[in-house]
Amino acid sequence: MMKDDGENSMVDVYRFLAQAMRYPTPDWFTDQYFSVLLSLLSELQLNVEKDELRKAQKESFDFIEDIQVEHTRLFINAVPHVIAPPYASVHYKGDGTFYGSRIAEATKKFYREKGFSLVKEDDLPDHIVYELEFLALLTQEDEKGEREFLDKFFIPWFSIFMKKVTREAHHPYYRVVMKLIDFFTREGL
Amino acid sequence: MSIKMTRRKFLQTTSLAAASIPLAKVVSAETGFAPNKFTAPGSVVGTETVTGGVCEMCFWRCNLVGKVRDKMLVKLEGNPKSIDNGSAICARGNAGVKLLYDPDRLKYPMKNIGERGNPKWKRITWEEALDECATKLKAVETKYGAHGIAMFPHGASAKYPMEYLENVIGTHNVSEASFFQCRGLRDTGYMATFGTPPGENVDMPNAKVIFLVGDHLGENVHVSHLKRYLKGLENGAKLVVLDPRYSASAAKSDIWVQIKPGTDTAFMLAVMNYLLEKNKYDKKFVGEHCVGFEKFKKGISHASLDWAAGICDVPEKQIREVAELLAANAPNVSVHPGRHVSWHGNDFQRMRAQGCLTALLGAIGVPGGFVKPKGVKVKGIGWPKGEHGGDHNLRVMANKYHYSPPGTPTDLIREACITGKPYPIKGCVIWGQNPMQTIPNQQKTIDALKQMDFVMCVDVMPTDITMYADILLPEACYLERYDYIKTGTQWNFADPHQQFISPRMPLVDAMFERKDEIWITNELATRMGYGDKIPVKSQEEKVDKELATVNLSIEQIKKEDGIHIQPGKDPYGVADDFEVLLYNEDLEDNGYPGIPTYVAVEEIPTGFARLVYGRSPVHTFNRSQNNVWLNYEMPVNPVWVNDEVANKLGLKDGDEVSLVNSEGVVSSATSIIKSTPGIRKDTIYIAHGYGSKNPMMTAGVNKGIDDQELITKLAVDPETGCHGMRNNFVKIVKNGKTLDISA
Repeated sequence: MMKDDGENSMVDVYRFLAQAMRYPTPDWFTDQYFSVLLSLLSELQLNVEKDELRKAQKESFDFIEDIQVEHTRLFINAVPHVIAPPYASVHYKGDGTFYGSRIAEATKKFYREKGFSLVKEDDLPDHIVYELEFLALLTQEDEKGEREFLDKFFIPWFSIFMKKVTREAHHPYYRVVMKLIDFFTREGL
Repeated sequence: MSIKMTRRKFLQTTSLAAASIPLAKVVSAETGFAPNKFTAPGSVVGTETVTGGVCEMCFWRCNLVGKVRDKMLVKLEGNPKSIDNGSAICARGNAGVKLLYDPDRLKYPMKNIGERGNPKWKRITWEEALDECATKLKAVETKYGAHGIAMFPHGASAKYPMEYLENVIGTHNVSEASFFQCRGLRDTGYMATFGTPPGENVDMPNAKVIFLVGDHLGENVHVSHLKRYLKGLENGAKLVVLDPRYSASAAKSDIWVQIKPGTDTAFMLAVMNYLLEKNKYDKKFVGEHCVGFEKFKKGISHASLDWAAGICDVPEKQIREVAELLAANAPNVSVHPGRHVSWHGNDFQRMRAQGCLTALLGAIGVPGGFVKPKGVKVKGIGWPKGEHGGDHNLRVMANKYHYSPPGTPTDLIREACITGKPYPIKGCVIWGQNPMQTIPNQQKTIDALKQMDFVMCVDVMPTDITMYADILLPEACYLERYDYIKTGTQWNFADPHQQFISPRMPLVDAMFERKDEIWITNELATRMGYGDKIPVKSQEEKVDKELATVNLSIEQIKKEDGIHIQPGKDPYGVADDFEVLLYNEDLEDNGYPGIPTYVAVEEIPTGFARLVYGRSPVHTFNRSQNNVWLNYEMPVNPVWVNDEVANKLGLKDGDEVSLVNSEGVVSSATSIIKSTPGIRKDTIYIAHGYGSKNPMMTAGVNKGIDDQELITKLAVDPETGCHGMRNNFVKIVKNGKTLDISA
């Protein structure tokens, strides 16, 4: 289900970025979504990236499948091995495993202290999609909390993660998404 | 290109604010969060102890408890209530946490849109995956018959799908590595001697002598097994070890027989012949329980100490010393049946020899001897067995391997796949096994898989074989599911007799989209038109129904902290009708020696050494090689080479080397030299389970040398069809230079 139109805010931006990191499926990875993504790149004057994406789409036999394969390879399982599992605990202060550091637990605790919990617990709390969705929740009513979460939890691992994805990505889509997430989280509020 | 504005400015000044770029329209309203009551900062979530775990880091399956904090498994420990492993677990058991949380683990169903062996994976839904698996398997079944499907299963979770394929679909083409590349011939060898598979059931805590043939307990770690062994040593048992290498057991031995590999049967024949010649065998036991004594005695009369000394390359007096020690302490002798025994292709005869030696010593049903525990029988609930006949049983068709373990010998399946004769095999289900590292001659396995119409794999990890799957399904691991019901007795028969029943219960919920074998198999069966045969709807129902056969339930087991304990029975004694076939007429009728017989192994070509392999205490074959804790403990498998040989070759400890076999196969990866006097000059040893080629295994890939890669010369045990895997010869390669080994 998609939201009705209205004025864009950081809530929408964070939600858009979170969705961009979900596994691409036809219910949301639509022509309209792609068109909005290209418009956003235009506004940000990321014309090289925009052209790259358009070229990739034009040359593709099955564009969504290309991105599905890339998502699987980068974030789930693939050959050569999973590149960058999108979890804080894998990249930051740990041994490279899930829950390999205390970050995942601390993240979950932070969610609770802000009055939120995960609906399902079949994934780890420090997944990038959860973290971006959580930022969307905070940005409305708790700007200080948003800043705290970004500084303490998100930015330290995302910067490592982003480098890996940017370096290893075969498809321009995730390089572009990394750039967008970086811009909307790292730059001054 | 970098973005030349700040987020704030961008939001204020661009058309984004005016919703001309309608982000909200393309974003799902669903979110992963729900409002919750605020938790005060500084609040601490407690750690709870969850009982009911049963380990599967190896097949010994120790009882576990999990320390769980906020749904996260923090630590594994032995269940203090256990009368088997107690509160102890091994390094691998501890490291189960790292298997659970390994980022390389399979998480979602995936489809290979690339080639087999060079896959390109795409996550798909379970619906898509199951539909495709069922459609493709059904197509094979329809076109080629049930026998057109082969299965390579391993582990507790593979039993239910294996029974589905065998009992319902009706294929015989199932081959378990645990039988055909491991212990199957031990079981059938002892069955042809004692009428029962032996397990590892020797009463070591109460033995006066423990006799190990190649077993390297200590490197081969199973907790209660080791407890029995160490209690025996603590109680003063003498230890005899036959091994070309100064293993962990040899290091504790009273007599280390540095035997030439492949000749153990000759050694035991000489010991038995000596016992007979010197009248030092148990005449009462032999008279009451043994069949074919005279033929046996005559049949092994050639096996003099001198004869064996020449074959085994050990001093004659040492064989005599062993024989005298065994005789002096009979019947309280543990002749250990071993576990992984598929070594040289002459192994069934060795198993027979071990059984006969046990009998001559009267070491059956007595303290210290071969003693089967009297545990509880829990009735299994499984698929109904259909009438499929034996028409397409490859073993029967070949009229070979009459003492085969259950299933079909691997090579018969593989050859049928490759040649299409006697019939094509076009569908393959691989469940928890990694045939690339369990079955010798990897190229043949690849050839067999490449000609399939369809290959599906189910596993917890992306092992080598999964690279050949069309559909790859993620399974819940042993910490996340119900399944196997472990039963047994107290580990030391000298203690009060007790029995235990402990079903595996999940310590944590399965994450991502991992599913258990009952769910996966039932979904497949439904789609293949066999829904009416489904025996249980869930893991819990299966376990509960099985527990009901011994008047227990999951609920009751939970109340009892994961383990039900009840009074046991005295395991000692021998039934009046217990028979030992020293001479086995049926064997002879089928064209095999009726009396244990030594069959010589191929001599080592000049310049080579024989490659032998064994266990690492921190790994379970290839299954644990990606575990970061275990990988850290022992990242590679050192190449044991005799120090004098190493000196001659200019090799020193830590040198990086690869191995090349006599057929020109070079190991893909390297390892390091361990120069030691503790190995024969004609032998090279590495631990098994290293050198994965699958780059999906981030920690394990290319770490150490994969022995299986070098095992290209196949020896097949004639009685059983099991593989002998110590018949390959290697040279060492350093800095690109191949070094001749002159023994």
